[in-house]
Amino acid sequence: MSKLALNLKSLQKAGEKSDHKFEIRDYLRLDLFPHFLCPGCGHGIALRALLWAIHDLDIELDQLAVVSGIGCSGRLSAYIDANTFHTTHGRPIAFATGLKLARPDLHVVVITGDGDCLAIGGNHLIHAARRNLDITCIMLNNEVYGMTGGQVSPTTSLDRYTTTTPLGNQEPGFDACALAKGAGATFVGREVTLQTTALKNLMQEGLSHDGFSFIEVISDCTEIYGRKNELGSSPEMVLSQKRSILPKFDGTAVDKPFRAGNWDTGVLVREDRPEYYKAYRKHCHKVLGTAAVKK
Amino acid sequence: MSSATTAKPKKTVQKQTAVKGPTNVLIVGVGGQGVIMVSKILARLSQLQGLQVKQSEVHGMAKRGGSVFSHIRFGEEVWSPTIPMGEADVVLGLEWAEGLRWLRYLKPGVGTFISDTKRIVPPFSCRDRRHDARHGYAHHTIAEIVAQVPSAYAPDATGMATELGNERVANTILLGLLSTVMDFPVESWREVLAEFVPPKTLDTNLKAFEAGRAWTKQDHKPLVDDAATQAAPEPLLKREVKLEITESWCKSCDICVKMCPERCLALNDHQIVELVKPEACTGCRVCEWLCPDFAIAVHVSTVPINTISAEAAGEVQA
Ligand SMILES: Cc1ncc(C[n+]2csc(CCOP(=O)(O)OP(=O)(O)O)c2C)c(N)n1
Ligand code: SF4
Ligand code: SF4
Ligand code: SF4
Ligand SMILES: [Mg+2]
Repeated sequence: MSKLALNLKSLQKAGEKSDHKFEIRDYLRLDLFPHFLCPGCGHGIALRALLWAIHDLDIELDQLAVVSGIGCSGRLSAYIDANTFHTTHGRPIAFATGLKLARPDLHVVVITGDGDCLAIGGNHLIHAARRNLDITCIMLNNEVYGMTGGQVSPTTSLDRYTTTTPLGNQEPGFDACALAKGAGATFVGREVTLQTTALKNLMQEGLSHDGFSFIEVISDCTEIYGRKNELGSSPEMVLSQKRSILPKFDGTAVDKPFRAGNWDTGVLVREDRPEYYKAYRKHCHKVLGTAAVKK
Repeated sequence: MSSATTAKPKKTVQKQTAVKGPTNVLIVGVGGQGVIMVSKILARLSQLQGLQVKQSEVHGMAKRGGSVFSHIRFGEEVWSPTIPMGEADVVLGLEWAEGLRWLRYLKPGVGTFISDTKRIVPPFSCRDRRHDARHGYAHHTIAEIVAQVPSAYAPDATGMATELGNERVANTILLGLLSTVMDFPVESWREVLAEFVPPKTLDTNLKAFEAGRAWTKQDHKPLVDDAATQAAPEPLLKREVKLEITESWCKSCDICVKMCPERCLALNDHQIVELVKPEACTGCRVCEWLCPDFAIAVHVSTVPINTISAEAAGEVQA
């Protein structure tokens, strides 16, 4: 075949690929559906955004590994038809670290909750951020331990009611993005589930970043946190996210915040720093000699 | 079809002395174009002739996408300030579609129609939010209109004004044109014009006035194929939207129902989502994106116009 014909062929193939529309069913384990999340739970919207980003990046499902901990958020990995690991509470980042070092060719994504990632798993987060290993950590922040019935979490807003703060929470919550940034994460971003397309774009950027990327998704626990705090119906809760966004460009709140916190959204940190796996290999070559390092 | 923009008027507007009833001039535009200024000038001219004048107007609608119009009636005796339909001696349009909108006010067969061919398409001319929607702005060509009205003038006054260095003097160009079909002495027109326009712009306005007067004497190119006012070509493809609802996955959370911008979804008796207004659905995908249960998939395809998909045809028969 002539070179031109070959080129045409590859062009055609690229065209087919880009025309291929995102059908979420192509990415799901359909036998597990409908999923177990409560009506209106924001985690479902976040899962769509993630799969959509993976689709748009043309990541093959067998090149993708999704690692999650325990929680309603942790359950999401089970629904994705890729290599998935539903690990123990608080440890998905630790599992993902081992996995990425052993299989650097895979795209490794962590799905975790605010309790999973910041309470029991807080140390794993800061050290992963410090190392800058190329994994994408997606933390679904619903300000509560949803799975276990609504206990206070490290991100619960002030004065909010949970089963363990029946008089209203008096501990200030973590700003997870600031924490990740402080610990050295080279990509940090935040988005709300209401802005599904923006969330998808942010995830796409995080997945493409070479280094540790941390994405906080503001998600709604409609059935437990929403009810306990009288935050309204599912559509009211998701719509109210709009009022809590603090747009980055001028730094002023859109409206009176509905929740206690204001959030910056979008890409908050993007830095260039040596990626851990690559830096480690380089070092091995240097101290052990190229011949001694396995391919 | 006429090959010229103007069919020369058979006669000028009847002189006030020769008629009993008042002379009626309707001036229309979209706001910010000087409708009111033109009517003031006309009213003043009439007063200088010792005639009675009555004028009524609607303005301030322009910001809402509405039109602005002014009725001027003058003669020995004028009672009502408004012109009945079909009684206008002149309809003067400062904008093309507005001119056409008021055309039915013109005296059939004898009235004079003057309109700028400038098109200002208002946002409200397209209220269909679908991708391939056609706007409702007048699709008539200039030639079509000129052919219908025995005495019609359709200059590109805005274009001419821009050439003179000030787009805003388009109304004065039309005023110049109007002066050729009315019976006031041309010197009076110039004097009154000077009274009303800002002194700094008087020079340009006088030039514009002369340009308008001269326009009627020029030979104009045929405008049959005037691209700007040609009817928009029919779209060959049509967007077809289909909503696929997986009822067994819907958890009745109501998010899609409340967030659909077109309000075309509802929960049915079984508390399952249903598309109740399919004709209103634009395929925007908001429902698909926000459904936490993936129960809605929006399929958008382009199909040749006038063909119904086999599936849709089946539904109709069923
Ligand atoms: C070692 C261990 N400790 C505690 C638990 C109980 N547990 C299960 S999920 C969970 C918290 C989940 O909260 P979060 O991570 O915010 O997820 P969400 O359900 O809110 O998405 C806890 C404490 C556990 N499974 N394992
Ligand atoms: S408990 Fe809360 S977080 Fe868990 S599935 Fe229900 S709504 Fe979602
Ligand atoms: S696609 Fe969905 S949200 Fe958009 S108009 Fe149609 S039903 Fe409504
Ligand atoms: S958003 Fe989804 S689950 Fe909720 S009512 Fe609509 S279709 Fe049903
Ligand atoms: Mg949580």
